[in-house]
Amino acid sequence: MQMEAKQAGLTCLCAGWTRKDRAPGAPWAATLPVLLAALVLVLLASGAVLAVYYDPRHAFWSVQGIMRGVQGGWLMLGYHRVGAGLVFALLGLHLFRTLLVRGYRGAGAMSWMLWVTLLAVLLLTGWLGFVLQGGAGGHWALLNATRAAVMMSGFPGTVAMWFFGGPAGGDTLARLLVLHAVLALGAAGLICMASRAAKRAKPVPNGQVVAFWPVYASQYFAALAGLALVFSLLLGFAPHWGQGMQSVFAPTPLLVAVPVSYPWYLWPLARLAGLLPGVGGQVLAVMVLFVLLYALPWLDRSNGAPPRRLYKVLIWLLGLDILVLGVAGPMLAALCSAWVFFHFLVLTPLVTAMEAA
Amino acid sequence: MAEPTADATAAHGAESRRDFLRILAMAGGAVGTVTVIWPLIDALNPDAASTARARPIVTISDIAPDSVKTVQWVGLPVLIRRLTDKQLADEAAVAVSSLPDPASVASRVAPGNPHFVVVFGQNTGTPCELEGSNPGDSQGDYGGWVCPCDGSQYDVLGRVRVGPAHRNLVIPRFSFINPDQIQLG
Amino acid sequence: MMRRFFAPLLAVGVLASGAARAEDTLSPLHFQSQGWSGTIDKAAAQRGFAVYEGVCASCHSLHGLHYRDLEGLGLTPAQVAGIAANVRLANGQPATLNSRFKTPGAISMGGATPPDLSNIVAQRPGGTRYVYDFLTGFGPPPAGVSLLPGHFYNAVFPGGQVSMPAVLRDNAVTYADGAKASTAQEAADVAEFLTWASDPNLSARHAVGLRAVLFFAFLTIVALLVKRRIWREEG
Repeated sequence: MQMEAKQAGLTCLCAGWTRKDRAPGAPWAATLPVLLAALVLVLLASGAVLAVYYDPRHAFWSVQGIMRGVQGGWLMLGYHRVGAGLVFALLGLHLFRTLLVRGYRGAGAMSWMLWVTLLAVLLLTGWLGFVLQGGAGGHWALLNATRAAVMMSGFPGTVAMWFFGGPAGGDTLARLLVLHAVLALGAAGLICMASRAAKRAKPVPNGQVVAFWPVYASQYFAALAGLALVFSLLLGFAPHWGQGMQSVFAPTPLLVAVPVSYPWYLWPLARLAGLLPGVGGQVLAVMVLFVLLYALPWLDRSNGAPPRRLYKVLIWLLGLDILVLGVAGPMLAALCSAWVFFHFLVLTPLVTAMEAA
Repeated sequence: MAEPTADATAAHGAESRRDFLRILAMAGGAVGTVTVIWPLIDALNPDAASTARARPIVTISDIAPDSVKTVQWVGLPVLIRRLTDKQLADEAAVAVSSLPDPASVASRVAPGNPHFVVVFGQNTGTPCELEGSNPGDSQGDYGGWVCPCDGSQYDVLGRVRVGPAHRNLVIPRFSFINPDQIQLG
Repeated sequence: MMRRFFAPLLAVGVLASGAARAEDTLSPLHFQSQGWSGTIDKAAAQRGFAVYEGVCASCHSLHGLHYRDLEGLGLTPAQVAGIAANVRLANGQPATLNSRFKTPGAISMGGATPPDLSNIVAQRPGGTRYVYDFLTGFGPPPAGVSLLPGHFYNAVFPGGQVSMPAVLRDNAVTYADGAKASTAQEAADVAEFLTWASDPNLSARHAVGLRAVLFFAFLTIVALLVKRRIWREEG
């Protein structure tokens, strides 16, 4: 008895150090949507300021002018660049976690599809942002895209012309600037909708009502502070990391950017698109990828129970595969891209069916 | 917001320490938010290119003595005249009290650079652009400017001498960057 | 070392005073702008501007910069206006603070166009050091290397052959601060100047970054403590 009491006392004393009590709270991953929303707000605000000074007809030199002539203009460019990178990093983490815990099944399907839509919207916005900088790389990327668009016929050509309006030039960039801003607003809306759908999908267990204030708020606050720390590290000491040098070259006809060096968040997609030849093939590869992501709730043949070991290993492998895809050479990239499709088309139905059996 | 909840019955020491931390966190959050947002607002100040347009630099070293350079600024003509020593001496000899709008020479030119007169070229009576800046123009009886609309006459310093205008020409805000250049605004 | 560490904290003070001090940057070769806490060495950059203006500017443009930007190197507006007034623009007028750096007339060096130098340091890996190495990398071609017509040997340039001749030599310019204008010194100074031209906010960025990191690191710790307590008591 005495021993037990003593032990209980000790447990009390060391409560702060026991494993269970060390970090009480909701999973940190649950704060990701809030962090994403904060980043999108920063992007919208800094983007609005940048748009004041941006001139699509002299894109490169107007960005240079923002860096050199606007009060704190370098900081605005930094907010926008670092913010864009972190949005992709956090959204990637969030999607990865959803895959890992099979959060896309049943009631979670709706929010999963909204998050996938957000990924698509952000990738397009990111590509537009890269092009809008007007550097040699972005100029070349736009040149290729518009050339393909002009040459396309039929309905795809019409759609492409809605986007670009014609061959690459200042007028195209003026158009893409508006598209960039509208898509960014759409992304903000999507985050709201997806968070709402996620909340509806996972109602609070009965009786266990935890007040938002101050309980959840304190965790969100801590996560935001940590995000701000990472943000300032990148902004102060590595603002151009993963941006590629082509964006600091003024576009001249003499400078041919082959291959285009995209910012790091477009690396995996750019290589995955390269799996199929031609512009049509690239578009097809990306479209198939997103169709698969949308169809994932139905490709998964399990009964919705938490995933087993093999499935988790495969998801980790997929995450690793996408990271490698980002930096791989042509041969390895083809292999890694093929693996992505193989994972969703073959492995997922197979393994989940095994789990259900 | 940082008040302890009513049902909190922890020991007083722990309570106040927690409150201190909470207040610290909230204050830190507020400071952090403001410092993140402030540059967004600060960046809305005019950029260097806009400032350059708003405050143009005029080279005055190429103005010959007793001739006028006209530049347009904020939609108005700005007249810059280089005075000769004789003109300065003559104007200094005029009794200030005899003028319709009394103003000394020193009040019409920049200290340290008395040879340059910078005025808006718009008559203070009938709003008309003044004549007298170009070589062939009539300069009136006082060698300065004449209004073609109401006949008001100004001397080389831009002081009104003959009405109907009764106020001197307006001096725009400007500063000397060096003896060769002035910046308007 | 200590000065190096505290440099970002002092950056504001340096900005305010605009002090120009001559300091040995050659033995060993180092650039104050390098490293995570680097700041632009304004004295070296001012000398580097003299080299640019005296030597480089006859072929290379610096399109991104206006003369007013030189105030960022600690020069007063009157000094910069004097510098600009000595430059005749293409229209025959003297340059003012608000003029862009003068673009030299179209030049073709054996078919190669001299590149604009506004972002040259950002456009090359290890840009500052690259500029220095390039400018000091000229020399006679090693045995067995035959140069193309109109080309010069440079050990650093990819391919070893470049259309630009060696332009820096001892006393190519006279430094206002009395520093000895050796070829290496000129190359080092112009490298620091072009580092500033590519990233004029480098000093401010490092200073702001360091302060923000310290502040948010502190805030993160406090926030984690608060979160932990709240969750234990109310969660």
